[in-house]
Amino acid sequence: MRLGSTAWGRAGILVAIGALAALACVQDITSPPVCPDYCPGGKLVTIESVFTAAVARDSSFTGYRRAHEALVMLAANEASRDSRPIFQTLPIPIRVRIDSGSDTTTGAIVVDSARLTLTWLRRDATARNVRLELYRLPIGLDSTSTFASLAPSFGTPLRVVNLDSLLDLPTFRDSVTGDSIVSRDSLRRVIVVSIMLDSAQAPYSEADSGKAAFGVRVTADSHPALVLGAAENGEGPVLQWYRRVDSAGTLVNKAPQPPVGLSFDGFVSSLTPPPLDSNLAVGGVPATRSLLRFTIPRAIRDSSQIIRATLFLVPTGPPLVATSDTVFLKLARVAADVGAKSPLPADTIGEARSALFVPVGGDTVRLEVTSLMRLWQADTIAVNSAFISLVALERRDSTRITEAGEAGTFTSLQFFSSRTPAYRPGLRLTYVPRVKFGTP
Amino acid sequence: MRARLAVTLVLIALTGTGVSAAQDSPLSIHGLGMPGRFESVRARATGGAFAAFDPLSALSAAPAAAVGRYTATAAGAASYLKDDLNGVTGTRRTGRFPLFQVLGTLGHRVVVGGGFTTYLDRSYRVLIADTIMLDGSGQAVTDAISSDGGVTDARLVLARRWGRLLVGAGFHLLTGSTRVSAVRTFTDTSTYRGVSEADEVAYRGAGYSASAVLILPTVTVTGFARTDTRLTSEVDGAEVAVNDLPRTIGGAIRLQPSPDFGFAASLIRRSWASAADSNAYNTTSWSAGADVRLAGVPLRVGARGGDLPFGPGGRAPREFAVAAGSGLALSQGRAVIDFAVERLRRTGVGLTETGWTALVGLTLRP
Repeated sequence: MRLGSTAWGRAGILVAIGALAALACVQDITSPPVCPDYCPGGKLVTIESVFTAAVARDSSFTGYRRAHEALVMLAANEASRDSRPIFQTLPIPIRVRIDSGSDTTTGAIVVDSARLTLTWLRRDATARNVRLELYRLPIGLDSTSTFASLAPSFGTPLRVVNLDSLLDLPTFRDSVTGDSIVSRDSLRRVIVVSIMLDSAQAPYSEADSGKAAFGVRVTADSHPALVLGAAENGEGPVLQWYRRVDSAGTLVNKAPQPPVGLSFDGFVSSLTPPPLDSNLAVGGVPATRSLLRFTIPRAIRDSSQIIRATLFLVPTGPPLVATSDTVFLKLARVAADVGAKSPLPADTIGEARSALFVPVGGDTVRLEVTSLMRLWQADTIAVNSAFISLVALERRDSTRITEAGEAGTFTSLQFFSSRTPAYRPGLRLTYVPRVKFGTP
Repeated sequence: MRARLAVTLVLIALTGTGVSAAQDSPLSIHGLGMPGRFESVRARATGGAFAAFDPLSALSAAPAAAVGRYTATAAGAASYLKDDLNGVTGTRRTGRFPLFQVLGTLGHRVVVGGGFTTYLDRSYRVLIADTIMLDGSGQAVTDAISSDGGVTDARLVLARRWGRLLVGAGFHLLTGSTRVSAVRTFTDTSTYRGVSEADEVAYRGAGYSASAVLILPTVTVTGFARTDTRLTSEVDGAEVAVNDLPRTIGGAIRLQPSPDFGFAASLIRRSWASAADSNAYNTTSWSAGADVRLAGVPLRVGARGGDLPFGPGGRAPREFAVAAGSGLALSQGRAVIDFAVERLRRTGVGLTETGWTALVGLTLRP
């Protein structure tokens, strides 16, 4: 067989073969979808099912985070609840060196005034003419301090500061009292309140080494409630002493004492936590959680891909304690299921949160738990239990949204448990069973 | 040097793709897939009419007895196809490596050989946009369902010549696999997670064939038969399907009035109807072609047509193709490069598929 007598003919054939070689390296086998005639039979099927028995052996436990462990201090002054932040400062040196040179002689300090700085995190949006009342409390505050035991100390306030009036001032500073108010962000979501205490108001006691205890009460024309930052979140009250030194009867000016932190902070309230019963309770102070134990059908766990999982919780009625706080439910898996003391893992993998809501009625609450279910699909030896808790929303600045943690709100909700079959927690799974490949 | 370059280019063309399959089609979505073609490139250029007489084709074993020395051949194909499915159009491009054969003599006019060719092609990919009801509202989804691979016919043949009669038999091991995947993505990715599933389906089966060729002056006739057992499909070692495979009978005639002119025609019947569900059909296919030499240059033309075994709608899809090609001998005939071009048209219920296929084959006789 001979093709062509010229070199050009052979070269053309070789070029064509080379082009074919290049063309053969490209593949695109996608054809237009015309179903059902020209669509594969082994296709994906999505199933949506509600499993009412997916949650069982559920229980509620309380005492997880108490008032002095909370990330915020709650202040309220309403008929249903009266809550008052309390805090105690650390001691300060009561004698300092008179001379800044080589003379080491010390003298007792004499306090001229003090400045107390509070971080005002959020307020009831409907509150008007909000006033802070500052009280001096006896030294010795601790976690056993109660509303009743401190009630006598909330007699005559050291100072009353009208926060709304301060906000209305052009410079946000009261030139008479020296109080000021500063917004930490442009949207005024976090406000720092600075209150001046003169020598008569500043509760300096040499016998207590400068330790001072305060109580705060909020009043307003309507809905008096606000939230102050706590030391647990690095935003607790700070006290700064302005002082002089007694040098043989002569008062020598000294630089202000560096800001003093707290030895204790928290809040006391008149509210008695609602008792636990057979239903599922969350929220409140001290914080209450519910432990849910899940059972995922094995056919789904082992042979399907879960694409969405939604947990439904039906409230037993209106909130046990209702506030205007914006809250959400948080579901976190436990590292080991030992009941009330089940430890939470260090990570937040699989953690689920509900949408933000202000609980007023008895609406069903949904939580998207897809990540958790898929995690349990992947890790079949993991404990299929999770704590559900109520968390208040806390806005820290204009770009970051954070949470106030448990015990950051008095809001307390109750949901039907698995012991109420008609309204028990339900798990809706949307899943895709395994495709049967290989069948014509 | 030019011969080496040509051989190198052809080898690149033949090994450029790792897929051993024939032309894919939307019709390979149904049933067991699209049957492969067993012709060498030079037989394909005649529409397959000469395949039953061609030792380098894998259609039957008896022609192998005509081989007098060790011979190896391989084929590569590139296709450009256009689909029209009820007015929805699309294009596809594929590169394939559909055939490889080696033959050698054992003495006493006995020839033994083997090789592989595509038995069924199961390559397709479909993107389906749909809306499904979830949580009381419509959710837009896109499914990508694909299969890539097929069933390969690895054959071992033995043939002997008795004067004008060539007789051959073959054992066919059916093997291969397809990589299959199904991916679903939701438009609302914040609520619904995507689904991705992939697996590999392995196939196994066997077949036996026998054939004879009778060479008469100016006329050569052949008959061949083949029976394949069952195709077993396995996923992860678990059997997922067993399908009957067809019996094949066929015959062909070749007229050779002069050394420079040959004409052939063939007819093949295959019983695919039992292989799958109601969308499987027995098939009859024909081919006719000519091989002429003009001033020593081979020119081949042909046409083929017939039924395809799988398709929706209660009737067998149809196929028609015309082809032409030639060849180039190098190194005193020790290497031959064959090439062909085929124009294809397939019609099924709601489907019209047209396309071009360019083929190149390399035959070595060391």
